[in-house]
Amino acid sequence: MTAVATEIARAPAHGRAGRLAALVLLLGAAAVTGVALGSSSMTLDRLLPALVGQGAETDRLIVWGLRAPRVLLSALAGMALALAGLLLQRATRNPLAAPTVLGISDGAALGAVGFLFLFSDSANSLTVSIYWQPVAAAVGAAVFAVLVAVLARGAGGGPVGLVLHGFALGALAKAGVTLLMIVGPVYRASQASIWLAGSVHEARWSDVVVLASLMALILPVLLILTARMDQLLVDDSSAEASGLPVRRTQALLIALAVVLTASAVSFVGAIGFVGLVAPHAARLLVGTRALPAIAASALVGAAMVVLADIVVRLAFAPLEVPTGAATALIGAPYFLFILFRTGRAHA
Amino acid sequence: MTRSTLALLLALPLLALSSLHFGVRFTPPAEVWRALTEGGTDQAALIVTTLRLPRTLIAVTVGAGLALSGLLMQTVTRNVLAEPGLMGVNAGGAFAAVLLVTFTGEQLMLPVMLAACGGAMLAAATVYGVARLGGGAAPLHLLLAGFVIAALLMSGTQIVLVSQERSMEELLFWLSGSFAYGELWTIVPAAAVISVIAILCLFYARSLDVLTADDATAGALGLPVAAARSTAVAGAALLAGVCVAIAGPVAFVGLAAPHVARRMGARGHAALIPLSMLAGAVLALLADILSRFVVYPTEAPVGSVLAMIGVPVLLALLRRRPRLEAA
Repeated sequence: MTAVATEIARAPAHGRAGRLAALVLLLGAAAVTGVALGSSSMTLDRLLPALVGQGAETDRLIVWGLRAPRVLLSALAGMALALAGLLLQRATRNPLAAPTVLGISDGAALGAVGFLFLFSDSANSLTVSIYWQPVAAAVGAAVFAVLVAVLARGAGGGPVGLVLHGFALGALAKAGVTLLMIVGPVYRASQASIWLAGSVHEARWSDVVVLASLMALILPVLLILTARMDQLLVDDSSAEASGLPVRRTQALLIALAVVLTASAVSFVGAIGFVGLVAPHAARLLVGTRALPAIAASALVGAAMVVLADIVVRLAFAPLEVPTGAATALIGAPYFLFILFRTGRAHA
Repeated sequence: MTRSTLALLLALPLLALSSLHFGVRFTPPAEVWRALTEGGTDQAALIVTTLRLPRTLIAVTVGAGLALSGLLMQTVTRNVLAEPGLMGVNAGGAFAAVLLVTFTGEQLMLPVMLAACGGAMLAAATVYGVARLGGGAAPLHLLLAGFVIAALLMSGTQIVLVSQERSMEELLFWLSGSFAYGELWTIVPAAAVISVIAILCLFYARSLDVLTADDATAGALGLPVAAARSTAVAGAALLAGVCVAIAGPVAFVGLAAPHVARRMGARGHAALIPLSMLAGAVLALLADILSRFVVYPTEAPVGSVLAMIGVPVLLALLRRRPRLEAA
């Protein structure tokens, strides 16, 4: 308790605003770069007119029709996944927790692919509105979150046991995704990669609008919960003593994380490791208080996916390598690093 | 011989026979018999001799090889959760093979096999080293380190294949494995390597038994622990590499087969080795037959079918943590 209290006190309150501003600038720069670069790269004197709706017709089309939705969708999905990771880490008090690690992303992907499979007609077009896809993803994510939680509690094993259950059930969900992909309307490797590793290359404005509205609905709820998230930093009995309904708060945070994951995954697939890395980077930058942690996690997550997308777009152009494969290359070594630290702490 | 061993022994030829008969179209026994004895060039005969016979033999060979690989890894790590698929060893072999095929255009089986073995060994060494660095190779940490390294290597495989515009079949083969794409003769080198290692393991079964005790005891019993352990890891990686080269990174056989052998009462490696290999062959064959029907009339990757069988086994093993370190 005291250790946590001093850690909160020592958190870099100093210069927090400056760091958040720096993150905003980073994200802005990444977004502009993302819009400027691609198979036809633009210099600023072509980009700026196109952005404000002037300049050549093709430039406007490339910027507004193709790249802007892609960058915005990356940023929104990164935010959603990072926040989901933050909520999961807070709710489980487990630094290894994240939507991919706990099998929630793969559960959401199973829900989304299952939806495509069930509601596609023989000509591969949907028989119901695509707007139901996030709902299906949320159902899949919720089922797997509950399964992981229940089975891990039954087996014991602490934080590492929880993560193992997440990986195991995630493997099951991934097997389900593979099977549904084969029977469903998916033929090319790059298409399959969306659902196996996550990719933003089929971004459309309608996706951006739906994901943005979902985020607009969820963010206020998160902001209301910041006080409770701070109370949850201490151990259960201290938190109860401060008047917090601990179990209910944890369940609420996990439910929000499930909705956030499902929203992101239903549009860009299970992009991995963002939800794990972003909250950790945020804590290093702005400390543990919930409000700045939320802001910083969202910004870092958004910047991560936008940058990862730029990397795969440039390095493998004109092919569409999944964005999730790039985030895994950064995220997996970081996960190992955290794993060692917790291993050392327990040893 | 117990009743369950007898059941497994009977199941193997029965499943192998049904594997020759069942598929998108059922082939009657008379036609299968004619195809096997006389050959022939009609459609039914070709399906049996060029498709179903190779995949049946590959399933049996790879199943036995992966089972032995899993058993060796479990012995060395003293951890019943160790397995070439989950621990990234298969993924390492697959990544190396994909790199070789992509960047040199190599089509010959032998170089691919060697590359897969090298990749598998590197991955095994990495996982084991990484897990030792943190947490002192505690059972669960080892598994987590393996999971993450497998994820990393699979992203690498995926990047290479997608950037080469390969088909989804090829992507799925190198991500989750299949018995259906191999040619008949490829099992000859694989079966040779697997039998040699199996015989060596049987020969040194007592040493492997001693290796399951703690280091001090094993040392006191006269076993050069470090040497024995690295030899066993190398053997496990070699087996995994050979299997990956002809069937892709098939997971969960190496986890489930030794588990089945233990459940059947096998104690000591002299009994565990043959029983695990038998169980692995049966399991792989069963999964291969199921993979023809779960999404009929299309084929499912056998890895997905095995995940459906293997994940429950893994979860059951996680529930019995107090006995996790049993040999």
